[in-house]
Amino acid sequence: MRYFIRTVQAVVRKELRQTFRDKRMAAILFIAPVLQLTLLGFAVDMDVDNVPTLVVDQDRSPASRDLLARMLADATFARTQEGDDPDGPMARGEVSVAVVVPRGYSEDVKKGRPAEIQVLIDGTDPVRAQSAMAGVLEFLTQESLHMATARAVAMAQASGRAVEVPMISVVPRVFYNPSLKSPIYMVPGVAAVVLLVVTTVVTAMSIAREKELGTIEQLLVTPMRPVALLLGKIIPFALLGLIAGGLVIAVGTHVFDVPVRGSVLALFLGMLLYLMSTLGTGVFISTVANNQQQAILGSFFFIMPAILLSGFMSPVENMPEWIQLISRLDPARYFVQILRAVLLKGAGVEDLAGPLLALLTFGVGILALGTLRFRKRVA
Amino acid sequence: MKDGVVIEVEGLSRRFGHFLAVDKVSFDVKRGEIFGYLGANGAGKSTTIRMLCGLLKPSEGRAAVNGVDVAHDPEGVKRSIGYMSQKFSLYMDLTVTENLEFFGGAYGLSRRQLAVRTDEVLRAVDMIEQRDTRTGDLPGGMRQRVALASAMIHDPPILFLDEPTAGVDPEARRTFWQLIRTLAGQGTTIFVTTHYMDEAEYCHRIGLMVDGRLVALDAPEVLKRTHVPGRICRVEGSGASRALPVLGGLPGVLEAHPFGAGLHVRFDETRTGMAALQAALHDKGLDGFALTPIAPTLEDVFLAVVEAK
Repeated sequence: MRYFIRTVQAVVRKELRQTFRDKRMAAILFIAPVLQLTLLGFAVDMDVDNVPTLVVDQDRSPASRDLLARMLADATFARTQEGDDPDGPMARGEVSVAVVVPRGYSEDVKKGRPAEIQVLIDGTDPVRAQSAMAGVLEFLTQESLHMATARAVAMAQASGRAVEVPMISVVPRVFYNPSLKSPIYMVPGVAAVVLLVVTTVVTAMSIAREKELGTIEQLLVTPMRPVALLLGKIIPFALLGLIAGGLVIAVGTHVFDVPVRGSVLALFLGMLLYLMSTLGTGVFISTVANNQQQAILGSFFFIMPAILLSGFMSPVENMPEWIQLISRLDPARYFVQILRAVLLKGAGVEDLAGPLLALLTFGVGILALGTLRFRKRVA
Repeated sequence: MKDGVVIEVEGLSRRFGHFLAVDKVSFDVKRGEIFGYLGANGAGKSTTIRMLCGLLKPSEGRAAVNGVDVAHDPEGVKRSIGYMSQKFSLYMDLTVTENLEFFGGAYGLSRRQLAVRTDEVLRAVDMIEQRDTRTGDLPGGMRQRVALASAMIHDPPILFLDEPTAGVDPEARRTFWQLIRTLAGQGTTIFVTTHYMDEAEYCHRIGLMVDGRLVALDAPEVLKRTHVPGRICRVEGSGASRALPVLGGLPGVLEAHPFGAGLHVRFDETRTGMAALQAALHDKGLDGFALTPIAPTLEDVFLAVVEAK
């Protein structure tokens, strides 16, 4: 036993030394996650505002000018162009929305006839198009409602009757992310992705490198057990992964105002189990790969679907049934779930028994599989 | 374990599918002996070494290293041997001391043992001054010595060296072999494979592998006497190719073949001599050849053995 611990210690010390001696490796482990989070956090901003908008005012009346002015007062739209032809600028991508107020608009309104406003939307980016459409619709619906109410009131007053206009007043209250800022939704997902990429690739590469350089043969003639070698490889990267993960969360809370409402214990427990899964996958990949290139390639075979199925961009619930089933095999999915629950909803360990257990199962399973394969291959 | 015998091999075979890589090999190696294992690539040298190091299970036969059976207790074998491969499997990004520390740890040495042994092996291979140099920055010959040092960090009684001098310059090779002889003199048993014939001369005994079989086994001088009997002389001069058929047909000449720009002629000294060879050339009008006696090399032994098969 004492011998076993000594061998594990020797490997851990060696791995740490090599990691920090190789400046690139240290950069991959610490700088890359923070940089990626910051970049992704800013870039993957799904809030739709300042949509470049073309205004075509064919009516040229005080009423049309007033309508357009109020419509564009909100930051959702930005009047970038005026003109008469909406097709050209939209095809060239200069504007995403065009609002056309046809001739006769003010006349129609004044006489109480139905008036038309044409809104053209570039649907290339569905998220943006939907938000823009919703913005326009909401504004114009409110506008119609105001007009209708005003007219009803005026008519009632003219005939000397009291006015009662029935209305539903909606009082929305958004939980967990009240201002609906997308970084708060994105950061937990990005954190999971960043940890996934870093730890899987680094582990797979570190074992593949020993194979490539032939040092593994030198290790095999020592009486060191293969399990000791694997433990020695996994422990330092698990520790470094925890530190990198903590760093990423810290950046998320300081740069993107992501709250930490739940139990930090649950957070780190989840992270530890998640790292077990990603490191185990790295070990497994390294038993298939013979050199570092193959290890990187193999890692991405796992990483890409793991990211797509994790629900970090689009909710898992929106995916087709069979894909949801497959996503149950994705450790990133559970970790994203845990992170969001802890950070935004204030969940604790007891609320997260399901995903934690799933991660534990996956982690133990893949580690066992990787270890078995590793032992078989070296024996 | 027989008296003084540390490696015992009996009818050892290893099969890969239908391919018989090692075919019923038997030999003993005594304590403090330098045992050379010679053969072409693919002759079964590495397969034998891998079985003796506990890396590969024998298909048949048995082998005991330091009294431990390699098939039953490979881990026990690993504890008592040091192994150095032709690739010098060191971590190039670590310093010399860090490499030694790691391999010492892999053998389970305590911190105190490690400190003592690191000093000892560095002194043994004369690398004390380079102890804090990055291994990757060292020239090949020094790396080779570091690899040897790390193979003996746990003070093993037996060292297996698999082509330890491949790709190292001649000067460094000589230094390395002096080191090996010193170690053997102190009682370490050395099992070494090589395909450099000149190096094999340093070995106390040599086993010759051809196609998985051990075809010859003895001290270098004895091998030369048995497999290359008679005397050898070198024939130099212009027109050596015309001299070849003349000399080759003489009674008492065992063998004549071109060697470099001249010829090597081996003859039975009881039936003919250098003067007779010179005279025979003169009779055919071939003059101006210089004949010098030379000692047979292990290369001659190797060629003789391979041809005999």
